[in-house]
Amino acid sequence: MHELREVVYVDGVRTAFGRAGPKGMFWRTRADDMGVKVVRELLRRNPQLPPERIGDVIMAATAQVGDQGLTLGRDVALLAGLPPSVPGFAVDRMCAGALTAATAGAGEIALGAADVVLAGGIEHMGHHPMGEDVDFNPRFVAERLVDPSAVTMGATAENLHDRFPQLTKHDADAFALRSQRRAAAAWENGVMQETVVPMSVFTDDGWRLADRDEFLRADTGMDALAGLPTPFRPGGRVTAGNSAGLTDGATVCLLASEPAAEELGLEPRMRLVSFAFAGVEPELMGIGPVPATRKALELAALTLDDFGLFELNEPFAVQVLTWCDELGVDPEDERLNPYGGAIACGHPLAATGVRLLAQLAYGFRERPEVRYGLTALCVGMGMGAAIVWENVAAGD
Amino acid sequence: MSGWGWEPRSSGRTSLPETEFKLARIALPNGRALALVTIDNGEDHTKPTFFGRAALESLELLLPRLEEEDWAALVLTGKPYVFAAGADITEFPNATRDLAIAGSRAGHELFRRIRALPYPTVAAVNGACLGGGVELALHCDARTISTAVRHFACPECFLGIVPAWGGTQLVPRLVGAETAVKFIVANPMRQNRVLTGPQAFELGFADRLLEPAEFLDESIAFALERAAEGTGPGVRPPDMAETDVFRKARARLDDQVHAAAPAPYKALDLIEGACSGWSFEEGYLAEEEAVGELLPGPQAQASLYAFDLVERRAKSAPGRPDAEPRPIRKVGIVGAGLMAAQLATLVLRRLEVPIAMRDLSEEALASATGTIRSELEEQVTKGRYEEGKARFLASLVSTSAGYEHFADCDLVLEAVFEELETKKQVFAELREHTTPEAVLATNTSSLSVAEMGADVGIHFFNPVALLPLVELVHTPDTDDRALATAWAFAEQLRKRPVLVQDAPAFVVNRLLTRLMAVVLEALERGTDPDEADEAILRLGLPMAPSVLLQMVGPRVANHVLETLHAAYPDRFLLSQTLANYAEGRDEIAVRERRPQSRDEILETALEAIADEIRHLLEEGVVADAKDVDTALLLGAGWPFWLGGITRHLDQTGISEKMLGRPLAEIGVGAPTA
Repeated sequence: MHELREVVYVDGVRTAFGRAGPKGMFWRTRADDMGVKVVRELLRRNPQLPPERIGDVIMAATAQVGDQGLTLGRDVALLAGLPPSVPGFAVDRMCAGALTAATAGAGEIALGAADVVLAGGIEHMGHHPMGEDVDFNPRFVAERLVDPSAVTMGATAENLHDRFPQLTKHDADAFALRSQRRAAAAWENGVMQETVVPMSVFTDDGWRLADRDEFLRADTGMDALAGLPTPFRPGGRVTAGNSAGLTDGATVCLLASEPAAEELGLEPRMRLVSFAFAGVEPELMGIGPVPATRKALELAALTLDDFGLFELNEPFAVQVLTWCDELGVDPEDERLNPYGGAIACGHPLAATGVRLLAQLAYGFRERPEVRYGLTALCVGMGMGAAIVWENVAAGD
Repeated sequence: MSGWGWEPRSSGRTSLPETEFKLARIALPNGRALALVTIDNGEDHTKPTFFGRAALESLELLLPRLEEEDWAALVLTGKPYVFAAGADITEFPNATRDLAIAGSRAGHELFRRIRALPYPTVAAVNGACLGGGVELALHCDARTISTAVRHFACPECFLGIVPAWGGTQLVPRLVGAETAVKFIVANPMRQNRVLTGPQAFELGFADRLLEPAEFLDESIAFALERAAEGTGPGVRPPDMAETDVFRKARARLDDQVHAAAPAPYKALDLIEGACSGWSFEEGYLAEEEAVGELLPGPQAQASLYAFDLVERRAKSAPGRPDAEPRPIRKVGIVGAGLMAAQLATLVLRRLEVPIAMRDLSEEALASATGTIRSELEEQVTKGRYEEGKARFLASLVSTSAGYEHFADCDLVLEAVFEELETKKQVFAELREHTTPEAVLATNTSSLSVAEMGADVGIHFFNPVALLPLVELVHTPDTDDRALATAWAFAEQLRKRPVLVQDAPAFVVNRLLTRLMAVVLEALERGTDPDEADEAILRLGLPMAPSVLLQMVGPRVANHVLETLHAAYPDRFLLSQTLANYAEGRDEIAVRERRPQSRDEILETALEAIADEIRHLLEEGVVADAKDVDTALLLGAGWPFWLGGITRHLDQTGISEKMLGRPLAEIGVGAPTA
């Protein structure tokens, strides 16, 4: 058995995120072609990496059918022009798909099975609406294994408001507004230029360039947010304004063993410290990152005070507020989602994880004083995922 | 909008989806913008984009924005898989000279405005790019082309016209005279040969060859590079070609088309003009004049008719029964001659199913399997198969002197010697050894399908690998399922069936024999054989009658003549000369010394053909004169500019003279299917 090897994050890239459905910019673009685009861009940015040195291509998707079927990692590798000797596979852990792709790749690297891995995710929610083609086992209902609300993510978010009455709709809207403001700034200050690759897409109006997320609402305000309908419950608290829209997007990152990165001249940005997945009650899936974070901190022997950055997914504002509330982080804390989050950029389920990684890596480089960062998200059917990273640029 | 003198759009003819030029504004980090224009008709790749009136109007609407706004660069591309497939030829039939000139001038004026844009312009050739598509791309100052492009060509000469949106002037300026002649004249005349993306790049048509995965992204990057470098429209060096190029090209054309088709000669003149110092203005005017003369002319109109026949009508499979074809999992072939070996190879290559082959001669079987093996090895050499695959396919052939391995054949093709009694025996034996569902077919070229006891005739043409026609022969007893199965079989072999009735020698051989009879008659009257050949070659046929006769084989030809003579003694006289040839004696049986002139021979030949076509139609051997034309185009390689032949007969007044009316109006003796 090999000695375990350190795993480093080198680079990551995503497509712009589009609105799912016929009006979205990716409506006539294939999901796997979006994966091909980010893979080729990643290779273009890292010309030192000989493609044949890639040990595995791991692609996540929640709906593994149609243009996301056919063992997506392998499919994308071949379509992207990687040599046939490079293997690939597909994973699914719903919203934590790309994070799971990254941890699966990290495992291969740590154990010496691969030197370099591409890990990412693709979700074309326009082509594959949530729950489509899913055959729920009737036992879930007959035996009351889960509350019926567990399968509707917006309903689980309403459940969080019920469970934690101190987290109000106003708090959620305020958080959403901050997310939009920070995202608007991020499109000006370089982070998006570095992590988003423009892609030409064919539309009813001919070719155009998908170069900007379709969820930005720079001009929104508290009043506008307050007036939005609550589709999951009459008189509820969850609105289109304080949650992430249905999204098409693709992401991929480059992970390597520390020695391989050095050998190939790839610049490591983050070192993987620990990761954890956790399960919670399915109808309260949004709380999942809380136990996952605690477990990952324990494995890393760190406390939240050691951290300078948190990249949390924002499927629903209340979900982040719950995490803040439970772990004692101020929702306005500058360390939390400094470039905004899914409320302002969208959340293509299995693709999102690598967006968090890429933004954390950018944040690390901007802040050499920060040593540790966290990427975390909640997962449908009651799970949470968290990875702790160390900033390679941090001084000793 | 109607400044081009075309009739208004509201004429209501909307056979093709309308093509639009769609503009997207791509904001650049430096605050400027790139114009991204898509040629799109709102349909998928199965309906390519064409430039008809609507497309030119759309471009005219767009141009002011391209001219007046401040753009960093223009990228012009097509919808997925198609750049642009050229002019909308459904607007061409019955075009007048004025209309042709107006259409050419409209394109010239619009495309020249693109060429005059004051910033870098890049055509991103992402897919099929034909005719007007090529010409539009050449009006940009640079081009990218995808490695996935499989059709890049100017096929105008193939259709009896010339590139008339600047192609004859721009192509030689870009790639030189020699390549221009090959691209605009030689390729269209060689079964409309097209270039792939990599070939077009090699020849200098494009500046960058890009992979398809990120083709447009990389094309945009290329355009931005050019914008950053401040690269303007390149000044192209005039190509002062050696006149030799044109002299040789004309000589080759003479050999090939014998001056019967004016378009390729006209195209050569235009290219030569471009190379001799014409200004664009002069060149474009010359193109307009040329197309004004050619498009309304008989050759172009016949070509358009022929193109429609083989590209559209034949694909719609007129006469195919609705019945569900049976799956073909094993094929039997009776006989092991050269034809049988060719058919076996074709079946192996296209269907990849086991073949049972039967012949009484072990030697013939050994020779056939040898032929099959070497044909498959040739495919390996060409890189179409791995060696293991070729070995496997060859192993699918089982041979025997008996029929024991025919029991599980779904379709049997008989290809033994053309003798009725032998064939009768073969089919009697086949009935005993095959299932009642098996389709028993004959490849006879002239004998009666019904009389020999076959279910259906599938008549291939030599060389089998090249000629796309099969005559599908049905008898009064042919059931729909058998016919549908034979039809599907032919299509799987990538052949184009024409449905014919069971009549002696069917269509192509009957007409060729009638033509041959005229030539033989001329020889027996003392006409010089070369003169007789030349007389017929003036039609621009692919080979002289004497060459055709050698290819078919005088014995086979004489046999067909005998069959036809037996059926129609008045029209098909036996020929002592052909009988001599068949016996291997190269001896013309001259009966008198009254040589005929070329004109006489040609006129007699065309009149004979018109007369025979009338009989074919009256007997109902085919349902439509169009079937005759399709058969001649696909089975005899007769040129497009004759429109098969009936267009030519109608245009020249021969049908009128012989039959009292054009063949196009005769049409129909209902086939008794």
